[in-house]
Amino acid sequence: MNKTHKVITTKQIETRFSIIRTLLAVAIALVFAFFLMATVSDNILKDFTTLLIGPLASSSRMTTVISKMIPLLFTGVAVALVYSAGQINIAAEGAFFAGAVAATVVALIEGIPAPIHIILTLLAGAITGAIVMGIPAIMHVKYNVVTIVSALMMNYVALYGGLYVILNPLRDPSAGFEASFSFQRSAILPTLFGNNRLHIGLLIGFAVVILSSILLYNRPFGYEIRTVGQNQKFANYSGISVNKTIVLTSLLSGAIAGMGGTVETLGNYSRFVYSGFTNHGWDGIMLAVLCRNNPKAIPFAALFLAYIKTSADALNLTSSIPPEIISVIQAIIIIFIAAERFLANWEHKKIVANSQRALAIEKGE
Amino acid sequence: MLDYIFSLEFIFAVIRMGTPILFVGMAAVIGAKADILCIAYEGMMLFAALGGVIGSAYSQNLAVGAIVGLLAGLVIAAIFAYFVLYLDTKPLLTGLALNTLGTGGTVYVVYLLTGMKLDTSSLASLRFPTIHIPVIKDIPVIGSIISGHNLLSYVAFIMVIVVWYLVFKTRLGLRIRAVGEDPAAAASVGINVRRTKFIALLISGLIASMGGLFMSMGYMPYFTNNMTAGRGFIGIAAQNLGRGNPIITMIYTLIFGASMAIGNTAQSFRLPSQFASMMPYLITLIGLVVIGARNKKNERRLHESISRKSKV
Repeated sequence: MNKTHKVITTKQIETRFSIIRTLLAVAIALVFAFFLMATVSDNILKDFTTLLIGPLASSSRMTTVISKMIPLLFTGVAVALVYSAGQINIAAEGAFFAGAVAATVVALIEGIPAPIHIILTLLAGAITGAIVMGIPAIMHVKYNVVTIVSALMMNYVALYGGLYVILNPLRDPSAGFEASFSFQRSAILPTLFGNNRLHIGLLIGFAVVILSSILLYNRPFGYEIRTVGQNQKFANYSGISVNKTIVLTSLLSGAIAGMGGTVETLGNYSRFVYSGFTNHGWDGIMLAVLCRNNPKAIPFAALFLAYIKTSADALNLTSSIPPEIISVIQAIIIIFIAAERFLANWEHKKIVANSQRALAIEKGE
Repeated sequence: MLDYIFSLEFIFAVIRMGTPILFVGMAAVIGAKADILCIAYEGMMLFAALGGVIGSAYSQNLAVGAIVGLLAGLVIAAIFAYFVLYLDTKPLLTGLALNTLGTGGTVYVVYLLTGMKLDTSSLASLRFPTIHIPVIKDIPVIGSIISGHNLLSYVAFIMVIVVWYLVFKTRLGLRIRAVGEDPAAAASVGINVRRTKFIALLISGLIASMGGLFMSMGYMPYFTNNMTAGRGFIGIAAQNLGRGNPIITMIYTLIFGASMAIGNTAQSFRLPSQFASMMPYLITLIGLVVIGARNKKNERRLHESISRKSKV
C-alpha cells in the first residue's frame, strides 16, 4: 500500500487510444500532405505553414472557418444519429441538397413576416430532408432493400429533382447564370455580431448538437437507437420496435440535414446557386467517424474540418497548390481512424499490463 | 422520341453508356460473391482512367497505357482490401475514403503533370480503337448493330461470360462463393479466407479499372475532373438488382445505359434534362422495391408452407 500505482480502467485506456489514433491519423495525413505539396510547391515551407496556420492569419479567415463550420454541424450530427442506429444511410448529401431547394421554394413566397418566414423555411427544409432520408429507411424495413444502394440512388433523385425545380419554374433568366430568383428579404437569416458572414444558423446548429446529444445519451429513445445500432436481435428481444426506431431515427437525421441545407443557403446567399452536390453530406460521414457517432464531439471535428478547408482556400490563393489536397488529407484521416486494428496490438498490451497490475495490487491487499 | 429509341443511333448510345456500368456491375458481382461491400469502384475507375491517359500519352503505346491504368486501379483495390481485411476497417468508410482520394488525388496529379486543373486534353493520350468485325459488318441490320463499337465495349460483354465462368465454374470461384457465404465453414475446410477475399477484390478492382479506362480512352478522349460521375455506384445498384447474377446484372446495366442515353438527348425532345438524368436512379429505386417486395412474398409463402407442414 505504500506504493500507489495508479490503476486506470480499461475504458480509460480505450478512450486514450482513440485519441492517440485520431491524432496519429491527422499526423500521418499531414506528413502525406507535406510530401504531396512538395511536388508542386515552389516554397514548401511557406505553403505548409499556410496549411497549418493560414486560417489564423486574419480575422476574415477566422470568420470563414466559423462560417464553413455551420453546415457541418448539421450534417455531422445527422450522420452521427443515423449511424448510431447502425444504418449506413448516406442520403444526408441528398437531404442537405433537397432541404436547400425546399427552403428556396418557401423563401420566394412574398409577404410573410420575417420570423415566421424563417421558421417556415426551416420547416420546409426539415420535412424535405426527412423524406429523402426516410425513404431508404422505409424501403429497408419494409422490403429489405440494402440501404446504402437505395440511399445513393436517393441522393441523385434529390439532386436532379431539386435542380429541375430550381432551373425550370424557379429560374431567374435575368441572373446571368443558372440560379433561382432572389430570396425575399424576410427569409434571409439574421446575422450575428454584425458580421455578415456569420448568421443565426450557428446558434441553431449548436442547439441541434446539444439536443441530439441529450436525446442520444439521456433519453429512452436514444438508448433504443444505440441498442438497435449495436445489436438488433437484442433490441428486438428487449421489446424495442427495431423498425420503428430505424425509420424515426432516419427521419430525424434527414430533418437535421435538411435544416443544414436551409441554413447554409439562406444564411450565405441571396439566391439558390448550387449546380451539383455540395459534399456536406459526405463531410458529415467523416465527422461522424471522427467523433465515433457522438454528437457532443461534432463541433470540434467540424471546426477542424472547416479549418483545413479554409487552409486549402488560402493555399489556392497564395500558391499553385490545388485545393483538392484537402480530399487527400480527408481520405487518409478517415481510413486510419476507421482502421480498427491500427495500433490495436499496442492497445491490447496496455490493457493486459494494466489489468495485471490491478490484479497484483488486489492480491497485495 | 420513339423514332429515336428504335434507331441504330440509340443502340450505339446504350452500349456506349452501358459499357462502364457493365464493367462495374461485373466487378460488383465478384465483390458481392465474396460478401464484401465495396463502394470504392468510383475511386478505382478514376485512378485507372487517369493512369491510362498518362501511360499512353508518355509512351504513345496503347498497351502501356492500359497496363498503367489497370495498375493504378489495382493499387486502390489493394489498399481497400488491405485496410478492410487486415486492419478491420469498415468497408463503407474505406470505400468512402478512397472515393474521396480518387476525386481529389486525380485532380492533383493532373495539375502536377499539365499545370491545369480541369482536364488532360493537353496530353496526347491514345484511345482504344473502334472495331469493325470483318464478315459480320456486312450483314444488313445485325452487322451495323454488332459491329463498329469501341474495343472495350466488346471486352465488357465478354467479361460477363468470363465472370460467370469464373464464379460458377472454377475452383477459385467456388472458393470465393464459399468465403462469401460462410467464412467459418470455408475456413474449416482449409480455405484461407482473407487471401481468397483479397484475390476476389483484386479481380474485382481489375474489372472496374477497365471501366475507368473506357471513360478516358473511349467514351472521352481525355481525363476530366470526376468524370465517372457516380457510375461506380450505379454499377453496384445494377449488381444489387441482379442479385449477383452476371447475366441479369448485365440486363440492368443496359437499362441504365438506355435511360442515360435518353437523358442525353432529352433536351432535343423538349424534356427537361434534369428529369431525364433522374430516370436511371428513380428506376433503380422502384426496381429495388419491386424485387424486395417479391422476395418478401416468396419468403412468406415459404414460411407458411413450412409451418403448415410442421402442423401436419
